[in-house]
Amino acid sequence: MSGYDSALSIFSPDGHVFQVEYALEAVKRGTCAVGVKGKEIVVLACERRTTLKLQDPRITPSKINRIDKHVQLAFAGLNADARILIDKARIEAQSYKLTLEDPVTVEYLTRYVAGVQQRYTQSGGTRPFGISTLIAGFDPNDKTPRLYQTEPSGIYSAWKANAIGRSSKTVREFLEKNYEKEKDLSDEETIKLSIKGLLEVVQTGAKNIEISIIKPEETRSMTNEEIEKIVKEIEDEKAAEAEKKKPKKKD
Amino acid sequence: MSQQDPSTINGGSAVAMVGKDCVAIASDLRLGQQSMGVSNDFEKIFHYGHVFLGLTGLGTDVLTVSENFRMKTNLYKMAEQREIEPESFANLVSTSLYEKRFGPWFVGPIVAGLNSISSKPFVCGFDYIGCIDYAKDFIVAGTASEQLFGMCESLYEPNLEPDDLFETISQALLNAVDRDALSGWGAVVYVITKDKVVKRYLKTRQD
Amino acid sequence: MEVVLGIRAKDGVILATSKAFTRGISVLKATDDKTRILNDYNILGFTGEGGDTTQFADYIQANIQLSTMREGTELNSKAIASYVRYELAKSLRTRKPFQVNVMLAGLDKREEPFLSLIDYLGTRVDLPYAAHGYAAFYTMSLLDRHYTPDISVEDGLKLLDMCEKELVKRFPMEFKGLLVKVVDKKGIRVVKGNE
Repeated sequence: MSGYDSALSIFSPDGHVFQVEYALEAVKRGTCAVGVKGKEIVVLACERRTTLKLQDPRITPSKINRIDKHVQLAFAGLNADARILIDKARIEAQSYKLTLEDPVTVEYLTRYVAGVQQRYTQSGGTRPFGISTLIAGFDPNDKTPRLYQTEPSGIYSAWKANAIGRSSKTVREFLEKNYEKEKDLSDEETIKLSIKGLLEVVQTGAKNIEISIIKPEETRSMTNEEIEKIVKEIEDEKAAEAEKKKPKKKD
Repeated sequence: MSQQDPSTINGGSAVAMVGKDCVAIASDLRLGQQSMGVSNDFEKIFHYGHVFLGLTGLGTDVLTVSENFRMKTNLYKMAEQREIEPESFANLVSTSLYEKRFGPWFVGPIVAGLNSISSKPFVCGFDYIGCIDYAKDFIVAGTASEQLFGMCESLYEPNLEPDDLFETISQALLNAVDRDALSGWGAVVYVITKDKVVKRYLKTRQD
Repeated sequence: MEVVLGIRAKDGVILATSKAFTRGISVLKATDDKTRILNDYNILGFTGEGGDTTQFADYIQANIQLSTMREGTELNSKAIASYVRYELAKSLRTRKPFQVNVMLAGLDKREEPFLSLIDYLGTRVDLPYAAHGYAAFYTMSLLDRHYTPDISVEDGLKLLDMCEKELVKRFPMEFKGLLVKVVDKKGIRVVKGNE
């Protein structure tokens, strides 16, 4: 031990705060979450830990959480920490509406969540939140899709598409390669891209994926059957692709 | 509206009596706002296991206090692994009310029940800050308490069988509330014996 | 002198509130809405001290919606009534209690029509029909005479019209008519008074 990681939130001589970096490590070990923006839609896709034989997947807490009617939050990292942060976000959303009448904007809520995360890196007796979040939704009376990310340090950023958690780098690279910046994605394309991205790192397929589709005025999660259908499509496409390549090699 | 007496805003009365190996407890069903009747199904008798509590007074406090005792007796049951006895419950009521000595609950509670071990009948009443009034015959509470005292004093006799006790307590309550503008609008009577509890609703004058 | 009236019919609940917003001797607004939507099947009508009323109703609304977000499911009418009563009873024993009388109308568990009358003291009674304040003196007799437990919303609205006519005729204050809302299987809708 170098001696700089025993006390909380202390700088090392070269300017690192180890506890925050360890928190990022906890995020990397969390299950993967993907967010993709389309033209009129945002999609959050999550890897779901394999449910044990006797576990009830319908009532086991989800990684995608509703903060208000128009905002959803997905996370990667420590589930227990996420619960606290989600509750703080929900209270702020209602409290904001109570004092200002307007519902929160996605940007405001992200800033709030990041603010809470930052505070926990600096104030006494606390440790940082071991989670990164993807916050997606629409501002009130606005049809522009929004997607933000927050990190344990309190950094927040806006994205067209991004991934957090385990193997997020692989998924991000995939999204960078396949997200066509010039072209606006349709609803179907957005959903498909998010699943494709997630499938890069989730081998077990449809039953370990959960998806939340966010549109202005409407948010819903996809059923297993719907996801399965799209996963099948993707697999068929991949098979066809492979088929095309095969004969060429033989020639 | 001027500042009124909290114990007579909503109105309502209750009475309990001791019989031979039995007790009875009864209340009217009215809840009003001053002279206007609002509800005719506002029961003022609550039970916690085999202990019965009559709560008259300010409507909001009747609800709050009855819910508080529900919580406290549930916790008691979990801690002691048995239901609370009437004697202990009376002391619980007393201490709970005195806790709020300088910001009181405006209620007039009465307790009735049979001790589950000795089968001894038990009734008692309280003032609104928890002073216990133990009685071996009957206890009254509410806006018709004076009328109830008169009725009980003249109708009551010791060692009544359950059926006769029912008749006595019913007549006492009915004739008392009919002389009180703030009580009435129906009544409910519980007759509690060792192996059963009988609950009956009484029809009364509707004015 | 504000009016809040409620009728529980067999297939829904009617909630009516006066449209006049009054300060002292002046009517400042004739299109006031003294209700808050708590969730898809529950609304809260309120009267009382200006300022206290909206502050309290907004606070209740925010907490009900927070509960919806936290639990992922909507509170039923009985739970809401219990919560509102608790808040008022709690407030009663503070330095400055909320002076708000409320009426909760809804479909309990999206099924059973439900009407609850709660005054600023926290006195709660669940009733088939109810009114707050002086309006009760003018309307209860009509409701006593014509209400039946199997009344339909349609007939309930006719009964409400009788009550409104009586109020216009005998009530000394101008209350600018009633804003009438109905909660039934289809949800919450305004049936009269938002012209």
